[in-house]
Order: sequence, then C-alpha cells, then structure tokens
Amino acid sequence: EEETKRLLEPAASPPSKVLNGAEQSYHSLPAARTDEQAMLSSILAKTAINIIDVSAADSQGMEQHEYMDRARQYSTRLAMLSSNLTHWKKLPLLPSLTNQPHQVLASDPVPFADLQQVSRIAAYAFSALSQIRVDAKEELVVQFGIP
Amino acid sequence: TTALTQGLERVPDQLGYLVICDGAVLASAGDLENDERTATVLAGLVATACGLRLPRGHQPPFRRLSVVFGDHSLLVTASAQKLFVVKRQNRTQEPATA
Repeated sequence: EEETKRLLEPAASPPSKVLNGAEQSYHSLPAARTDEQAMLSSILAKTAINIIDVSAADSQGMEQHEYMDRARQYSTRLAMLSSNLTHWKKLPLLPSLTNQPHQVLASDPVPFADLQQVSRIAAYAFSALSQIRVDAKEELVVQFGIP
Repeated sequence: TTALTQGLERVPDQLGYLVICDGAVLASAGDLENDERTATVLAGLVATACGLRLPRGHQPPFRRLSVVFGDHSLLVTASAQKLFVVKRQNRTQEPATA
C-alpha cells in the first residue's frame, strides 16, 4: 500500500559516489570497508523505517470524492481491527461494587476465624479432588457374540 | 484528586494505596506507588469474583475483595469505573492455638 511505502528500498545499495572516492583503499581494506558500509546502510535503513515523509506523500490531485472514499475505507478497516481488540472492550466492564469506596476499604478486616474456616474448606476440597481416580473394574472393550 | 486520596490516607494500618481509572494510575502512595502490575492482577481477581454466580443473587455480589497475606492484606473495591486498592498491615490476631 502506498501509505506504508518506505523511503528506501530494502535492498537499496549505498550511493556509488561515496565508494568512488575511496576506490583505492577499498581494495586494501575490503573487510573493514564493507563492515562500515553495511553498518552505515543499516543505520540509514533503520532511520528510514521510522520516518514518514509527509512532503513526499502523493496528496496532490486528489478529488473530493477520493478523500471520501479513503475516509470510508479507513473507517471500515479500523472497525475491523477494533473488533479484535478485546483488551479495549474489557476495560469499561469494571463493576460498581460500592458508592463509598473509602468506607468499604477502611472497615474492619476479615475476622481471623473466617479466614481459618475458608482455608480449612479449601484444604478439604483440595484433598477430596486429589483422591478422585478411575477405578478400572471391567474390560474397556467387550466382545459381543460374533459367530 | 485530594478528595479522592484523603479518605484513603485515613484507612487504619494503611501501608499504601492505588487508584486506577481506565488502566492509568490516578493516585498512588506508599508500598503501592505506581504499582500498575498489582492493580492489573487485582482487577483480574475482581472480574473473576464477579463471574461467580452465588445462589442468592446479590447485586453487586460483594463490596470488597480481601487478599490476605501473612503480615499484610490487599483490599480492593471498584466504584464509578475506578479501581481502589489499599495495602493494610494485618493486626496480630492469631489466637493462641493450644
């Protein structure tokens, strides 16, 4: 899409005039030279990825209806994307538990006896669950009277 | 914001508090200063607790959620789309178990 076009082509070679001036030393130090060039081009490429060149964007010669078409296209795309953003949908679902949050938080803590009881019940439930097992008593596959 | 936090400052045995709105910290202090991670976990706990349907259908099903640790507790409630969390020191109330 034209909106995501990069400033540089990914495989763009570095400008040749930079190389021409250093032609001699290029052969004497091939490894160092190419390393440096590669590093420079990678820096350039990284920078280009992060830049949106607004002035280069083709906005001239667009008719009114083209703007409208694009606006419609973008809003449908946004609607499609936002339906997948479940995280945003979940946020407003905070329940209203009280109208006096300060009083509720300042009131007496849960009594220790209640905590003990809950812990005991949870321990019983855990123990009961851990003792559930399949007791195999019969053959799983039964042969019917095949002649 | 001061009205929001004054009440929380006065909570007995308070060690810190946190007020969250739309995932952003509105106010925080003490041990819970900017503790969004704890807030996220507790918001999840509140959502889970709300999902439990009890036979007697109270609305809302509870007013406060207490997460009790050895020496401190985290108390959570929600009001007007805000999540309130207070960390409180547990008073030594262990009875002498003979």
